[in-house]
Amino acid sequence: MARFIRSVRDARGLYAALVWLALGYLLVFSAFPLVYNIVISLQTVDLFSLASFDRPFVGLQNYRDVLSDPVAGTVLWNTIRFVVLSLVFQLAIGFGLALFFQQDFPGATYLRGLFLAGWIMPALVVGAVWSWILAGDFGVLNYVLRTLGITERNIFWLSDPDVSLYSVIIANIWLGIPFNMILLSVGLAAIPRDIYEAAELDGAGAWQRFFTITLPLMRAPLGAVVSLGTIFTLQQFDLFAALTQGGPSNASNVAQYWSWQLSFQTYQISYGSVVSVLMIVFVVAVAAVYTRSTRHEQSY
Amino acid sequence: MTSPQIELEHVDKHYGHFHALKDINLEIGKGRFVALVGPSGCGKSTLLRSLAGLESITGGIMKIAGETMNGVPPRRRDVAMVFQSYALYPHMTVKENLTYSMRLKRKSREERDKAAKEVAEITGLGNLLDRYPRELSGGQRQRVAMGRAIIRHPKAFLFDEPLSNLDAALRVHMRKEIRALHDRLGATSVYVTHDQVEAMTMADHVVVMREGVIEQAGAPLDLYDHPANRFVAGFIGSPAMNFVEATTTEAGDAVVLEGFDGAVLPLGIKLAPGRRVVAGLRPEHLLLGAPDKSAIRIGVGVVEFTGAASYLSSAGEPELTVFHAGRTEVRPGEAVGLTIAPQHVHLFDPETGRRVEG
Repeated sequence: MARFIRSVRDARGLYAALVWLALGYLLVFSAFPLVYNIVISLQTVDLFSLASFDRPFVGLQNYRDVLSDPVAGTVLWNTIRFVVLSLVFQLAIGFGLALFFQQDFPGATYLRGLFLAGWIMPALVVGAVWSWILAGDFGVLNYVLRTLGITERNIFWLSDPDVSLYSVIIANIWLGIPFNMILLSVGLAAIPRDIYEAAELDGAGAWQRFFTITLPLMRAPLGAVVSLGTIFTLQQFDLFAALTQGGPSNASNVAQYWSWQLSFQTYQISYGSVVSVLMIVFVVAVAAVYTRSTRHEQSY
Repeated sequence: MTSPQIELEHVDKHYGHFHALKDINLEIGKGRFVALVGPSGCGKSTLLRSLAGLESITGGIMKIAGETMNGVPPRRRDVAMVFQSYALYPHMTVKENLTYSMRLKRKSREERDKAAKEVAEITGLGNLLDRYPRELSGGQRQRVAMGRAIIRHPKAFLFDEPLSNLDAALRVHMRKEIRALHDRLGATSVYVTHDQVEAMTMADHVVVMREGVIEQAGAPLDLYDHPANRFVAGFIGSPAMNFVEATTTEAGDAVVLEGFDGAVLPLGIKLAPGRRVVAGLRPEHLLLGAPDKSAIRIGVGVVEFTGAASYLSSAGEPELTVFHAGRTEVRPGEAVGLTIAPQHVHLFDPETGRRVEG
């Protein structure tokens, strides 16, 4: 015992303990559920067999069933649109704002800080607020659009199958902008000023400086924001729960919400696992790109 | 007389209430190497950055090659700057760093390659063209920064403390290299440094600044021999000049030092009797002698040897530093005598600090 205490005090034992703690946490809360999820996706699981590990193994039959489901195509296409559009606009607006606040004007840092407010709010609350803004009969957005003469009639943002997905995308873009802006601001601030001054003396105008200095030097932060943004967007569940519940008739349903519906609403737990396993494969690929992009970080 | 490449007339610069440059007048001839030197915060960097166009001046006229540059953006001034941090583009190879300005001007690949090769030859970067800045040593980065300036054949080279990030040995070497390059290119250079040795050894014209004002400008040895005021006298020369308060004798042709038992130093000039002055005595002009036969007697406090020379400090106040070429047998606690030639005694007004002439 005394020897154990001494080894902890000498830090060598402490380091080992810390490593095992972290490793243990990962094993119990990450690795086990992950593997268990994959196992479930290969078995027939219903409410009766849920409690036992001994369930019929069916191989890839669940995958065949899920992928041949007519809903699968809609969900896949919706997920692609949701992720791509959210990312493109979050990134463009976030980067634009980051560049804007990088300019030296009074109150720049203070205003930039205010943008974090949107990030602090829980997504479920954000969803509730947007469901009011987007409400068809009394929503602020429709009122503004009509007053400005952009539309003549109310748009039923949440119940029109043609626009319901875009409603969630708009809310998600709003939610993701602060994250993009802050991360990219940090990246911009890390680029030394005198590099820009040198480029200016070398004859570069503002646009040339952006494309030949800023953009290449922002490669690592942009890669990080794109990969993390993809992962966050694929995690986005609360907004769907608060706004459209994937409806009407799956018009705004995406993989992560569908997986939850299958698992916990219709209790086709194996099918839900299949969807989440497919998503995990994709996220692992994105994470690999992210780790690679951070390896290329510039040193000044 | 060469035509002035850079002209500054009554240049002023304010940062809010802070007056950074005060009525700067300076003319720099074509092909000259001018050093701006002074303690930090003296405005030398601000002046250089104003020349580059990275700072705007709030008053006066600034001309480069005869053209007024007030309000002209940096990229239209045709001047090149070498930064203290080198400011190399980290995502570009050495060759891309060198030819960045040419790519902006849409010069052909052949032209760029040829120019890069030439400059690499001059700066000794020949086999490093495909490396990235992070793979280079400090000295090599320094050369890339120089090459990036040279390749443009600018109207003027601006150096902002380019050697302060290098180690001492390399600094001495690069000093000579930069000066040789300057001569070879026939360039006009403005060189900012806080190191007076750098300024003295490299420049043919030294501008000493303090608190936004030019204290004195001239050839390096003129500044050393005839400092215009106490500040310049203390700034130029290493170790720094000793200052001792003194009063002229009744005859006016000698001064009585305060302390040192009223030592009397003869002057080569004649002043009003009883005038209070500050005597400036350079450490290298104070000669060691026998205590009873010398003008000044001191008790030795510290003796330092560098091998080639010895530095003695007196024990009492005011402290005197003496530079003695070679070695000395004098040990701390002993008394020694010091003499100084009349023409080496500098006199300054105690109030204004200005040089007092006969």
